Amino acid sequence: MALEQRPAWYAIGLVLGLVTVGLLAFINERVGVLGGYSSLVERATGRSQQLSWKAWFLFGVLAGAFVFRLLAGSATVHGGYGWLTREFGTDAYVAVGALLLAAGALIGFGAKTAGGCTSGNGIGGTSTASPASFVATGTFMATAIVASFVIQGLT
Amino acid sequence: MAVRAAAAGFGAVFGFAISWGQFTDPDRIREMLLLEDPYLYLMMATAVLVGLVGTRLLRRFRARALLTGNLIAWDVTRPGARHVAGAAIFGLGWSVADSCPAPIAAQLTQGVGWSVFTVAGVGLGVLAYLVWQERRADRALPAAA
Repeated sequence: MALEQRPAWYAIGLVLGLVTVGLLAFINERVGVLGGYSSLVERATGRSQQLSWKAWFLFGVLAGAFVFRLLAGSATVHGGYGWLTREFGTDAYVAVGALLLAAGALIGFGAKTAGGCTSGNGIGGTSTASPASFVATGTFMATAIVASFVIQGLT
Repeated sequence: MAVRAAAAGFGAVFGFAISWGQFTDPDRIREMLLLEDPYLYLMMATAVLVGLVGTRLLRRFRARALLTGNLIAWDVTRPGARHVAGAAIFGLGWSVADSCPAPIAAQLTQGVGWSVFTVAGVGLGVLAYLVWQERRADRALPAAA
């Protein structure tokens, strides 16, 4: 099993689709990862007294990626962090860190406002044919595509 | 306990799969967003197709959840301004970090140090949303007599 090579797109897509259906079939819940972050924040700030199933799903994501790392022998990110470290340098901790912190804040705030992230709206919500999820997915895809071309033009 | 174990188990499969599909590599996301590589679009489309077929089958057979016994059902939400505005904000962040909540988490346990900043940012963004909603709710309450 060559883990450094990605398998066919339909193989990974099939697995993600089966996870979506499996969560409904076993616990009657819609897949989503941002909810796990939210559950942890709510628990850490005393807004909630217990962790929801979403936090446990996030723990699973963390564990699954860790097992992948162990079996593959290396991470899927090599030598820096994408365009950010190519532009600013691999030792530009302040600049790249600040941009990742700000981008993360936009991701967290935006996904909470939109009711889901790439998994929650883009896979979970669309799989249940929720119109709001199709609108959210179309919007974040279009925005990210346009912004990526703008970033490419500026760098 | 069984619900937590099931959630963690499905999460583990999810985390392993997105890692193997290199959804956790910011350069793969960038190629996707610059329309240079269709892999991740096709991967997501396959997931949604499988999900749509599966959810239709669950509904057709009026299935009950295996661990909770509840009739399987889900909310279908009408689109509103918050879905557009929130998704646009999310999309901006996604295009800068070339990563979103699941890959950010996966990067963390793959040992990608940069993800510490992104994880912290997502936490701050979620907290800002919760505080904003609480303040909105406070303003909406009538003044105490």
